[in-house]
Amino acid sequence: MKSSFFGFNVAVSGLYTAQRNLDVINNNISNINTPGYSRQQTVQKASRPMSMYNGTGMVGTGSEVIGVKRVRDEYLDSMYWSENMNFGEWETKKTLLSDLEVTFNEPSNSGFNKIMDEFFSSLQELAKDPSSEAMRALVKERGVTLARYFNDLATRLETLQMDINDRIETTVERINSIGAQIQQLNRQIYTMELDGNTANELRDQRTLLIDELSKLVNIDVSEVVVGTLPNGQADSRMVITISGKAFIDHYSFSKLALEQRDTKLNPEDVPNLYDVVWEDGNTLKIKGGVLRGYLDVRDGNAGDNGSPVYNGVPHYIKKLNQFVQTFAMAFNEGYIDLDNDGSIDPGKNPAEDGLGHADGYGTGATATQGIRFFTMLGEDNKSISSTDFINGASNPQDIVARYSNITAKNFAVSSDILEDFNKIATSGAPNEAGNIENLNALIKLRTNDQMFVEGAPEDFMKSVITTMGVNSQQAKRFSANKEMIVEQIDNRRLSESGVLLDEEVTNMVRHQQAYSAAAQMINTMSEIYDILINRVGL
Amino acid sequence: MRITNNMIINNMISNIGRNLARMEGYQQKMATGKKISVPSDDPVVAARALKLRTDVSMLEQYKTNVEDAMSWLEITESSLKNVGEILQRARELAVQGSSDTATTEDTQKIADEIEQLKVQLIQIGNATYAGRYIFSGFKTDTKLLNDDGTFAIDVSNSESIMYELGIGDTINVNVTAGQLFNDGSDAEATKVGKLIQNMIDFIDALKAGDKSQISGCITKFDDDINNLLAIRSSVGARYNRLELTLDRLENDILNFSELMSKNEDVDQAENIMLLKNEENVYKASLSAGASIMQISLIDFLH
Repeated sequence: MKSSFFGFNVAVSGLYTAQRNLDVINNNISNINTPGYSRQQTVQKASRPMSMYNGTGMVGTGSEVIGVKRVRDEYLDSMYWSENMNFGEWETKKTLLSDLEVTFNEPSNSGFNKIMDEFFSSLQELAKDPSSEAMRALVKERGVTLARYFNDLATRLETLQMDINDRIETTVERINSIGAQIQQLNRQIYTMELDGNTANELRDQRTLLIDELSKLVNIDVSEVVVGTLPNGQADSRMVITISGKAFIDHYSFSKLALEQRDTKLNPEDVPNLYDVVWEDGNTLKIKGGVLRGYLDVRDGNAGDNGSPVYNGVPHYIKKLNQFVQTFAMAFNEGYIDLDNDGSIDPGKNPAEDGLGHADGYGTGATATQGIRFFTMLGEDNKSISSTDFINGASNPQDIVARYSNITAKNFAVSSDILEDFNKIATSGAPNEAGNIENLNALIKLRTNDQMFVEGAPEDFMKSVITTMGVNSQQAKRFSANKEMIVEQIDNRRLSESGVLLDEEVTNMVRHQQAYSAAAQMINTMSEIYDILINRVGL
Repeated sequence: MRITNNMIINNMISNIGRNLARMEGYQQKMATGKKISVPSDDPVVAARALKLRTDVSMLEQYKTNVEDAMSWLEITESSLKNVGEILQRARELAVQGSSDTATTEDTQKIADEIEQLKVQLIQIGNATYAGRYIFSGFKTDTKLLNDDGTFAIDVSNSESIMYELGIGDTINVNVTAGQLFNDGSDAEATKVGKLIQNMIDFIDALKAGDKSQISGCITKFDDDINNLLAIRSSVGARYNRLELTLDRLENDILNFSELMSKNEDVDQAENIMLLKNEENVYKASLSAGASIMQISLIDFLH
């Protein structure tokens, strides 16, 4: 038996449904520019129909909105997160390598090429007038410029390393902060969804946080089903892992921590760099994201000492050190390791022990052999003398060992030369003002392509800079590629879950009309009841 | 595929951004005139640029060296020329003095002139180039000859001053004392070289009036003149070699500079065209974006 006001109720349900729909459309329109917002749709269905006793069919009882769903493709989200990780890594490397290139400043009028050129030019000019004090002063100054170039470069590379270290600290803090927020959201979402609703806005917020997290570090996200809830729904928990260990597991959250190293990974590193570890002590291997980019560039020494297989800052410092050691040894002693066996064998043919600065004489009656042109900075940042540098070594092997103390950072012109430029050893014999035999041997070192595996001194630096250029170009290309891939996936996400104004407005008109029609229906019903109540039987 | 408002805006922003980045690249090329500003723009061009810069600057240094070597040889050549004139004059006087018509008065006058020529010879031996004694071998800060004609220092003939003209290419720019003043043997301190000795002997012969000795000096002077001619031709040959080298270096510098420019410098005409093209694309993207961005269904509902 129908209720008397059956028609009324049906009309009112239509009204409520239209209103509910308009609310959702309203929400969509307000949130059109909210980052990470996925559009919501009502799930509307016809209410359970009543059956008539006399078999004349089912009577519909109106409509109802049974839920609001979030239009989102979860698969696209996980695709986005894995590509974003690669993008983060390469974008970081691109920026850092650009910084590195600018530090080296080549090709230019003030880079290594020019400075080396001017040093050897000054030697050539000295060769034409060996007793000229002006020329000697010039050679000394150009030598100082060369040494300072390397000091400066090495210092800036170290500063870059420390800078990256600080950024790693900031990134880890950000990761932990995001983790804490996700943990809280997990709790809120879980409790809210226990009664069968979906917590749309909270899920959107969580997805946005995971987007940011995926760029910073390599994560795997999954919603794991652990059972069924009393109301029949699946009990799912969100788990985020980093390199296999759980970062966030439902309500629990394992933080990342920083540990200062007691021993350096690479000899070229600055001391006390951070390692990223789990707070509970487990080891952590970062495999992607911005953090990986930072670690590769900060620690990368082409795989030596267990460092990342990447040409990072330590690799370049090592190359600079190698240059100054080999060049100083060849210039000072005339030693060149022709067969690359790591030692100097004077007896061999061709001789590995040629003429160097220490074999020559300066000007003046008191000139002696044994003056080295390049030594290193000592404790108080002052250049040390040749005797202090050689420190009693007399056979080639011991002398070679002394040169492993020179680094790009402490490379300097010796104090003997700085104090008295007449000690610049141009001459092959004492007290011969015009003798330039020794100086000619030094000048020939510039074009000696046996000095390094890569060739002459300028060829070595050229290969370092070219390698850096190629690496940087690779990082730029990869970064641009990954950026496009990430953008494309993001577009697909937006296509699926973005708000389209035209669509919302159309729907708004539609539901507005439904509302009007339902209201009109109520009027009609009201008139019918009026007739029934007030007119019949009077 | 469903296109949403945010998609349109995001795409527009990223495309306009890319257009701007490309435009900025062309503008920078135009402003600097160079194809690359950091090695990663084009590592191959960068590597070549570094090599060519080194090559050009080395060539220019060699050119300066050649020019300086030529100066040195010019001074040497003019000194040798003076020595030649002195020897010729001495030979003439020897012929005169040995003739039967010469009297003791005549030979005495000739002796006076020869004395002056000897002093001149000593002065030439101490000739300098930019403050350095050119015949003193490596000891360019010390005088070669004392006033009495003895050598003040030892100068071995191996003391050749070598200037670099190219990679592994050197040239000897000086003439050692012994070659000129001691007939090819080394110069030894406190001894008198053969050239000066001949002069001294000649003077003694003239003062003594010994005719046969005087005519003996003629052959000695002939030997000296031959020796001098050999040295002068060696200097001349070296000077020629330097001229040829200078010519070659100047050509090389031109060629390498051209290579360097072709490698690094941007073709401005092409660049400006590409820049203008890019600007058009940019304007088009802005205009298209503006028209899509602003309109929606709401404008048409009333």
